[in-house]
Amino acid sequence: MKCTRCSDQAVVALPSHHAAFCAPCYLVFARRLVERAIKEHAMLTPEDRVLVAISGGKDSLALAWMLKELGYDVSGLHIDVGIPESSPIARGYAERFCTTQAIPLHILDLQSQGLAMCEVKKRVKRPICSVCGQTKRYFFNTFTLNNGYSVVATGHNLDDETSRLMANVMRWDTAYLSDQGPVMPAEKGFAKKIKPLFRMTEFETANLCFIAGIDYGHAPCPYSAKASFPVYKRLLADLEDIQPGRKIHFYDAFLQRGRQGFASAETTDQAVDPCVHCGYPTSTGECGVCRLRTMMKE
Amino acid sequence: MISVRLEPENKDVCVERAKTVTQLLHALGRKPGRALVIRAGQLLTPDLNLRPDDHIIVRDVGSRG
Ligand code: SF4
Ligand SMILES: [Zn+2]
Ligand SMILES: [Zn+2]
Repeated sequence: MKCTRCSDQAVVALPSHHAAFCAPCYLVFARRLVERAIKEHAMLTPEDRVLVAISGGKDSLALAWMLKELGYDVSGLHIDVGIPESSPIARGYAERFCTTQAIPLHILDLQSQGLAMCEVKKRVKRPICSVCGQTKRYFFNTFTLNNGYSVVATGHNLDDETSRLMANVMRWDTAYLSDQGPVMPAEKGFAKKIKPLFRMTEFETANLCFIAGIDYGHAPCPYSAKASFPVYKRLLADLEDIQPGRKIHFYDAFLQRGRQGFASAETTDQAVDPCVHCGYPTSTGECGVCRLRTMMKE
Repeated sequence: MISVRLEPENKDVCVERAKTVTQLLHALGRKPGRALVIRAGQLLTPDLNLRPDDHIIVRDVGSRG
């Protein structure tokens, strides 16, 4: 198979794009996908100070690498969730990557906040991933706003976004459907959030890591829930085999024509006020993380 | 016999007959576009031919939470 751009031997075949690329041309291709996402959705300006949520997995590392390549002012925040079986491994990948790439990395250790997830899990009744996710969002948001960053970037890829969209469609979850997308503007005390990899599949981010020499690891969280998303990922991957390009068309068309229909149906007039303890936006007086802190101290 | 390391499980298996990368993936119950296929530090596209004494890494790209 020959490279679509330069006719050298290809190393990545991408039927969804009717293309194949050699290593140098693949980097150009990947760069253009990310540049297009940023431009089409007004994600970033050269003045932005970007905080990348770096989990240590391939997508977050690929994202930090690419944003730096594109010349943005990038720092990383790794949240160590305090799960002995997986957190030290993930943290190690994040630290080694940022050292190699000379990307400033902040580490926020939930244990030091009294919120190590291995302890929290023993106390809460809700699914741990819901508590953990909420806690991470809280700290990414507050860290961004309190440290002079203008935007937080996450490594969600096309497979994450389309599987989530399909899960929301299968439930006709109009609240989620009305605001799912690659950009969440800064509002009501929340920082701006962007997903610059949303046009890339996880196969494409894995190839990017390989070709860019990014070492990423596999440290599965022992609490990883049997969420419904993997089922939809598989279904969509099978559909993609039959109809190459289906995933990105599904998502692009949703953003262009679908989402607005749900937005008008959702009247999001729920009052959001600062948390009485920490100032974080919440509709319940005291925010979820402050409640969790109180509970963990009892 | 082609020897294969499956990642991320880090499991070693042998595949008797596979002339191409596509055939190898099929024998392993995998599909192109969902795993990287690596030989001697190089990525391989599905159409490429394999040799019986090849050592191959097949790295699944699926990620979780
Ligand atoms: S799988 Fe769940 S508990 Fe584990 S890190 Fe992810 S959100 Fe947290
Ligand atoms: Zn080329
Ligand atoms: Zn609070």
